[in-house]
Amino acid sequence: MNNHRSVVVRLKSVSKRFGPVAALRDVDLVVASGRIMGLLGENGAGKSTLMKILYGLYSPDEGEIYIDGKAVRFRSPQDSILYGIGMVHQVSTLVPEFTGLENIVLGTREGRFQFSLTRERKKIQTLSAQFGLLFPLDQKVSALTAGEKQKIEIVRALYRGARVLILDEPTTSLVESEFVQLLTSLRRFVDGGVTVVFITHKIREVMAACDEVTVLRRGEVQGNLQRHEMTKDSLVKLMFMDRNIAVTESALPLIDHVDVALSLQPVLSFDGVSTSTLRDLSFQAYGGEIVGVAAVSGNGEKDFAELPINPKRITKGTASLMGSPINGWSTVDVLRQGVFYTPEDRNHEGVLNEGSIVENMLLGHHRDSRFTRWGHFVDWPRLRLDTEASVSAFNVATPDIDVAIRRLSGGNVQKTILARAFLRDPRLLIVHNPTSGLDISTVEFIFSRLEGSRQAGMAIVWVNEDLDELMMLSDRIVVLNKGRIHGTFVRGEFDKLAIGASMLGESA
Amino acid sequence: MKGRSTVARAALVYLASIAAAFAVTMILVAALGFSPWRALRTLVTTSFRTSFGFEETLKKTVPLIFTTYAFTIPFMIKFFNIGAWGQMLFGGTITAVVALTAGETGLPGVILIPLLLTTGMVAGGAIAVVSGVLKTRYGINPIISTIMSNYLAIQFLNFVATAGPFRDPTEGHPMTRRLIAAATIRSWGIVPQAVVPALIASVVVYLMIRHTRLGYEITAIGYNERSARVYGINFNRTLLLTFLIGGALAGLGGTIEVISTQRRLIEGFATTSGAQFGMFGIVNALIVNANPIAIPISAFLMSVLLVGADALQRTMQVPVEAVLLSQALAVLFVVVTRERLRSR
Repeated sequence: MNNHRSVVVRLKSVSKRFGPVAALRDVDLVVASGRIMGLLGENGAGKSTLMKILYGLYSPDEGEIYIDGKAVRFRSPQDSILYGIGMVHQVSTLVPEFTGLENIVLGTREGRFQFSLTRERKKIQTLSAQFGLLFPLDQKVSALTAGEKQKIEIVRALYRGARVLILDEPTTSLVESEFVQLLTSLRRFVDGGVTVVFITHKIREVMAACDEVTVLRRGEVQGNLQRHEMTKDSLVKLMFMDRNIAVTESALPLIDHVDVALSLQPVLSFDGVSTSTLRDLSFQAYGGEIVGVAAVSGNGEKDFAELPINPKRITKGTASLMGSPINGWSTVDVLRQGVFYTPEDRNHEGVLNEGSIVENMLLGHHRDSRFTRWGHFVDWPRLRLDTEASVSAFNVATPDIDVAIRRLSGGNVQKTILARAFLRDPRLLIVHNPTSGLDISTVEFIFSRLEGSRQAGMAIVWVNEDLDELMMLSDRIVVLNKGRIHGTFVRGEFDKLAIGASMLGESA
Repeated sequence: MKGRSTVARAALVYLASIAAAFAVTMILVAALGFSPWRALRTLVTTSFRTSFGFEETLKKTVPLIFTTYAFTIPFMIKFFNIGAWGQMLFGGTITAVVALTAGETGLPGVILIPLLLTTGMVAGGAIAVVSGVLKTRYGINPIISTIMSNYLAIQFLNFVATAGPFRDPTEGHPMTRRLIAAATIRSWGIVPQAVVPALIASVVVYLMIRHTRLGYEITAIGYNERSARVYGINFNRTLLLTFLIGGALAGLGGTIEVISTQRRLIEGFATTSGAQFGMFGIVNALIVNANPIAIPISAFLMSVLLVGADALQRTMQVPVEAVLLSQALAVLFVVVTRERLRSR
């Protein structure tokens, strides 16, 4: 321990339960001033919960918080801000219709009676320059990239007087070059006297950014390592301990990616396709390959993922399935051809929350002759049989298939959605962020399913926010920028920096 | 496909709510100076004491079942059909017009009755689907358009009964001529023939909702409209169909009321028992949470109370409003308890 550094934050025996789930058990955390403290753990380990307690969003069931050695009790973030705690969340909390400047000064207590935007602008510009966080002050936030929004959020926290800055998974929507920039800024924070807590599930980022790391697993502290003690192996061991999953340094499960022969004809083909948001796409996906689609969020990746099952949106060009044009087809027509899609927002777009597992399994297959009788009747007995088989093949943890899907955990919901996609072996599967927010064993399961389908000759289009994941399993990576295909990278030539640059619209 | 304990708990909620509503009503009745015990007995037993009372009850049950379905089916995709009233009146009015016109041709009952039932469904479906189209084409909230369509239908009914060529000049109160016998249905003993189409409709609606593709699509949209759309369920088409089916059922209810109970069209029917069917259909649907199986049972129980309330006013001079209050309270208690249980 660095005894010469003063302790800024100390959490003592913090516990927190959500209903029957113990999110945190007896957690101790000591953060010394002027350091970058990593908080490492897989999804659901309790990192965010712990920091939300420090930020005053949750109150702990047990345990104490000390700031500068003084016991404090936060009832809301307004309290914690007074003690200099600032937090940047994983999801943007900015008002999209406001400019960066307006967002930063929004809710400030500064100058209640004589508020001068010019003076505040100066302050903000000074802060930005000092920490190397440059962004347009006067553009509406909705027009900015995820990286710029993040800078605004950081500056907002600093502007409000944060001495301890909590960054929750700050790299989720950043490309490689932005990550490098962020590292530089982190060093400048420390030089400027700001202490940083860096929440992440990626070992690589801890090793690149942190002076010290505390590893959480299932709500308990597994250990604390200083910079010189950090190795990939020691961190993997603390993160996963008893689990037998081989992982990469990004803390992703390692999957054997073998060579497969491609189909002769593309399963899906776009020929100069445009829609109201996508421009002039020419794209092929062959049977036996995983095509990764990388994009900075908001560059048309959602519309791209939805396009194959919504060919009516095409305004120009031709889309084909197995060589036959599908322009003007309805979603149902496309689904009947052995295409399936799993959306990014699984709870709002992927499932019928109030419905049972069986009812959910029918969604998208409801016009398939396999599950209908006499034209208009649903063949429930048949569907139930297939659902039973499918639910056990996909290891969905549920007492029975009549359980409402909202009772299942995120991982089990996602497994159900995938099980549904495989209810009739699809020829083309389009998946959008299938692993987001899931724990490592579920991620491994999904990866092995995708890899298995690829080996079985299926075409897979995988739109994903996590580039590390894409680079592990894709045969090709196609980059979308502002609704256009901006670059294509072939396996073996994957380069994180080059792909990241392409995602930002820079030419190679 | 719910567990047995859920069903038992739901039953308990209903019984407790109804008991509580009765208790409050009886306190009110006592406060007005009537014997609460006698009132309660009249209210609950009138339907079962005489064969007339029982037949009356069933005759009220039938249109109520239809107006309840008319509200329930669009409600399954979270749209409010406040127009079951008007759809029923419109179906009934057109039925009377067709019956009076076709009656001259001397068609036999086996042809005439199915023709009239179809007429009511087409008329009710047509006026309801207008509200559906107003929604899908122009985004007009069906609550507004269905409420307005009620007034159109009321005025149309009154016009036909009062000013049309069908008016019976021998009657003081404006009404049409009596329908010929071949255009009416009767009772088998104490059971009106009208229960047959009501039962058939209940079975058909149940099968439609639970066992057809359309029923699945309606259910799916009700669960989560966005997911349903993502996987290719056509929202506008389904919306139009729910209004069409709901309106057709209300119209059928109107036909049956005209050919079984009124046997002519009477000015003012719209705002007396017609209004009861129209509005209590909504109440009934909300009580049973739009559960298609419970609807006929609940409609029957509600009719028992309606018949009992009439008797109460006739024999004891207790105002009908006192009983209507108990129904309102029962609905409130049921809805509140259900929501509280759900949120727990």
